[in-house]
This record gives sequence, structure tokens and C-alpha cells, in this order.
Amino acid sequence: MDSTETANHSTARSRGMYLLGFLTKYYIQSLLLISVAILAAVNPYFRSIGNLQNILLQASFAGIGAAGMTLLIVSGAFDLSVAGLLGLCGVLISMLLPLLGAFLTFFAAVLLGVMLGSLNGVVVTKLRIPPFIATLGLMNIYLAIAFIWTGGSRVVPISDPGFNSLGTGALFGLPIPFLAMIVAYLGCYGILNRSVYGRCLRAVGSSEVAARTAGLPVDFIRILAFAIVGGCTALAGVFLGAELSSASAIMATGYELTVIAVVVIGGTSLKGGEGTLFGSFTGALFFAVISSALNILNVAAYWQYVATGAFLISALGVQALRSYIVVE
Amino acid sequence: MSNGVASHNIRSPLGLAHATRLVQVAESLGVFVLLAIVVTTASIIAPGFFTYTNLTNTLIAASITAVTGLGMTFAIAMGGFDLSVGSVQVLTAIVVASLLSVVGPPLAILGAVLTGLAIGLLNGVLISKLRLPAFVVTFGMMSVIRGVALLVTQGQSVMITKHVEFGLLNNGKILWLPVPFFIMAIVFAILSILLKNTAFGRHACAIGGNRAAAIVSGVNIDRVTIAVFGLVGVTAAISGVMLASQLMIVDATLGTGFELQAITISVLGGTSLSGGHGNLIGTVFAAILLATIASALNILKVISFYQYLAMGALLIFALAIDTARRAFIAKSLLSRS
Repeated sequence: MDSTETANHSTARSRGMYLLGFLTKYYIQSLLLISVAILAAVNPYFRSIGNLQNILLQASFAGIGAAGMTLLIVSGAFDLSVAGLLGLCGVLISMLLPLLGAFLTFFAAVLLGVMLGSLNGVVVTKLRIPPFIATLGLMNIYLAIAFIWTGGSRVVPISDPGFNSLGTGALFGLPIPFLAMIVAYLGCYGILNRSVYGRCLRAVGSSEVAARTAGLPVDFIRILAFAIVGGCTALAGVFLGAELSSASAIMATGYELTVIAVVVIGGTSLKGGEGTLFGSFTGALFFAVISSALNILNVAAYWQYVATGAFLISALGVQALRSYIVVE
Repeated sequence: MSNGVASHNIRSPLGLAHATRLVQVAESLGVFVLLAIVVTTASIIAPGFFTYTNLTNTLIAASITAVTGLGMTFAIAMGGFDLSVGSVQVLTAIVVASLLSVVGPPLAILGAVLTGLAIGLLNGVLISKLRLPAFVVTFGMMSVIRGVALLVTQGQSVMITKHVEFGLLNNGKILWLPVPFFIMAIVFAILSILLKNTAFGRHACAIGGNRAAAIVSGVNIDRVTIAVFGLVGVTAAISGVMLASQLMIVDATLGTGFELQAITISVLGGTSLSGGHGNLIGTVFAAILLATIASALNILKVISFYQYLAMGALLIFALAIDTARRAFIAKSLLSRS
């Protein structure tokens, strides 16, 4: 009798430990599920299909950019120019759409993103300028070109039914940008976790010197990572422009910090060397859920700033406190 | 630095010691060379740049950025950075402007500085005690403090109508030099002594250089982290007070992008984001450099969006020259030894 009780007790205990281990590993995912469950339970509007679709749509803009940014951060760099790059791609789309049609414009925009991303990479690696300054400087340049092109911060239209359906349409009830986000994450997951190039990224991120000594083409690896970020950002720009049916140079102000925050919230360290795409994916959804919840719960505009920041800090703070208790 | 001394002792050719010192001097004065070039060019091509009024205004603008940049340099030396300084600057500017209608300037300034200190310490506690990434904490705090600033002012601007002598903090001159310059110089002097000549400064650099080694050597990481972020908060608050005295009317939309500006001048001044050392004098020169470029572009009546273009191109150009300079020094050092 006694022994069975102890046995039961110990299985319960090990199950508890297992659960704790699971929660630690998938902390941000668990947090997202719990917050969605609570919000859906207390607020009927939150669980409406329209709102859930909107959350997925909003998550995909920062989410797509964060997919590429995760790879770049793993390689030990980051890119602050994405807001300018996105604005420039948006303006380009508006200019090309009447000439080329939806299909070619889409590819032209992504190509521009990849090219500008490679330019970022070349400036960082070949001119040996710290990524912070190089990409901040390039952001100013991209913004300026977009400003000059539109004659100031004028809003230019993106109106083509086919193109706009990229942002507003849905397949199987899921918004098209969200499907694109899934594809982007699967692609980046394949690159980071299943390819030689992904291993190179992690090697460069953990120790640039060691990677160089081992004969890896460090500069090329980084330039490619910057190009991927550029491509992802342009893709986000395509969907954002299609959804808004307009573009302007400042359409993505603050995008760079949001994207990096999404990646860091997901659990990828800015020090480089390792990263989790599943975390970034969840981080993007988490941001969208917070902002949707604040809107639905009628939190006044000024309080939304306070609440967003407080949620961000406490989301990670709870995790830290819990691991503190486990250690104790 | 210790590496240079060690190699001197072992090999001890005089040439090498001389070259090492040359490298150190060149490292700390790198931006100064660029600054000299830009100032000379601006004086020639921009009529009205080299006038007393314009130089004074440029120096005031540079001093406001430099004060926060100096604090930021300290944080970067420790291997962190603070994205909340823009929001702290605007909140403390609002605090000082609002307090001036109730109390005199000294108490109002004290209130603003204490506000900055409190926010900085809170940042530090969250980062060190909860072991959260500095990026997330200060990014979140940036949003929180901006919200508080909007809530306090309800989106309205606050005008300083009482105690207008507060404006002397901006307009006042001592020996023809503007008061903000002296504020910046004092902050520079204090932080230089803290960084180079105290255990606190050396511990901060040790944490930035090799965190694990610092822990093993018994450095109290948490205490140093909290103190450094408190220091950044105070410098952001001083910048806020200076901004309020410059504008005399403040609102919660000021100071956006200030955090990136502060980090930029630190990095441009020669402080690496990877941590371990801080170049405070470089930060000051870089702040003056950016203010000079902005002022020259204004005088030349360059349209605002071409100013973005010029600023971006100049940033990259400046750093590319800096890279070439380092490569040149490294090469000459090699050929000497």
C-alpha cells in the first residue's frame, strides 16, 4: 500500500517536472495559448472569426520580416534599415503596378528587397562598418529615396484588384499574408536547421574568428543573410501595401525595432550563434494578440503604450521569476 | 590596454611602444580628424556657418545629444544599451516644465533628474535581477514611458511661463561659451573619472569584455548593471532638462529616434557594441560632428529629405574612412614590429 502510494506520488512528481520542463522550453508558446484562451473565454468579440483573422493578418507583417531577421541575428548581426527598405518597396510597387501588372510587380518588389539587402550586407562586411551604423545610415538613404520619389511623405495609391487581394484575400479561411508567413517560416526553418548554410550561419554567429579560421566564407554568408532579410522585408511590404491599398515612405516607421523585439521575445539571443524560428513565429502572434486585446478591451490610446511595454517586460519577467524559483 | 603593456615588456623594442601609443592616440582622436575635415568644408561651402551664433547653436545641439551619448557609452562598454532614453528625455522635459509652474528651477531640475534615475534603476533591476535581455526591457520601457508622457500631458504641450530664468540654462554664456557646453563638459569629466579611475568603471568594462571572467573575479554584476542603467537614466534626464530649456515648450512627441542617435554617436565615436571599453571623448566629438553636418545642411537650405540622404551617406562614408585608417595603422604597426 505504502509503496504504491510512493510510486504514484513519484510519477505525479515526475509528470510535474515534465510539465515544468515543457513549459520552460515552450514558454512563450504556452503563454500565447493561455492568453488567447482567457481572452476568448471572457470576450465574445475576441473569439469571432473576423477578429481572429485580423490577428493573423496583423501578425504576418512583422512576422515575415522577423523570419529573415532571425537568421541574420543568428549570424551575429542585425538590420535597422528594414523600415526604410519596406517604405521604398511600397513606393516602388505603387509606381510599377500600372506598368507591369500584379504578377511582375510582386517579383520586382521582392527582387529590389533582395538587392538592397545584399547592398546592406556588402557595406557591413566589405567596408567593415559596424552593422548598427551601416544599416542605420542605409535606412536614412532608403527613406530619402522614397521621400524624393513621392515628393515628400505623400501617400501614393496601390490599386489593382488582383494585387490588393494579396492583402485582403483568404484561402481556407486563413488570410493570404498569414499563409505567406507560414511559408516564409518553413523556408527559413529549412535553411537554418536542415542546410549546410544554416550551420554556417550558426558557426559565424558563435565565433566569427573561428569560422574564418575554419575557412568559411564569412563575408558571403553574412551578405546572403542580409539578402534574405531584404527579401522577407520586401515580401512584408508587398502584403502591407496590398492590404492598405497605399504606400508612403513612412509606412513602416518603427518596424526595425518591432521586428527585432519579436525575434528577441521569441527567445533568440542578440549575441548570435543560435535562434528559434518557432519562437519568432509565436512572438509575432503574441504582439498581434496584445494589440488586438488592448483595442477590444477599449484601453485608451495613451494607455496602450504603457500596457504594451508592460506586457512585453512582464511576459519575459514571469519566465525569469519561474526559473529563479526552480533553481531555488 | 594591458595587452599593449605586456607585449612591450616582453619584446621591448622602443619602436613598438611608440607605435602602440600612436595607435591609442589615433584611436581616441579618430572622429576628431573627420570633425576637422567637416568643419573646414562647412566653413568654406556654407556661408554663415562659421559665425558666432551658428557655432553656438551647433554646440548647444551637440551638447544635448552628447550628455545622453556619454551615459550610453558607459552602458555599451558594459555590453548593454538603453532604448528608453528618448522616452526618458521627453518625460523628464515634461516633468521639469510642469514643476516650474509650482516650484523654482533647482527643485524642478532635481525632480526631473530623480525621475530619470528611478526609471534607469528600474531598467537595471529588471535586466540584472530577472536576467532579461536589455533590448526587450528598454524597448518595453520606451513604450511605457512614452505612454506615461502622453498621459501626463493628455497630448497637450506644456509651456514654461513661470521662472523663465530657467531658459538661461540654454541661452546663458560663460566666457562666450554656451552653458549647455559646460553641462556637457562636467558630465564628461565625471564619467571619465568614473570609467577610468574607479573600480566601478573598471568593473563595468570587465563585464562588457568578458562577463564570465568578471563573475569569477567576484565582480558584483547585478550592482554594477543597476548603477550603470541608473547613470544612463540620469544623463537622459539631464538631456531632457536641457531640451526643455532650449524649447521652453514641450510635448510628448519629442525625442523620437533619440535612442538610436545616442547609440550612433557612441559607435561613431569608437565604442564597439561588443562591449569592453568606452571612448567618451570620441562620443563628444561624434555628437559635434553630427550636429555640424545637420547645421551645414540647414544653412545650405538642403530640403529635409535630401538631408536624410546626406546624413546616411556621410555616416557610412565616415565609418568607411575610419576603417581605412585602422587598417593603415595596423599595417604600419606590423611593419614596425
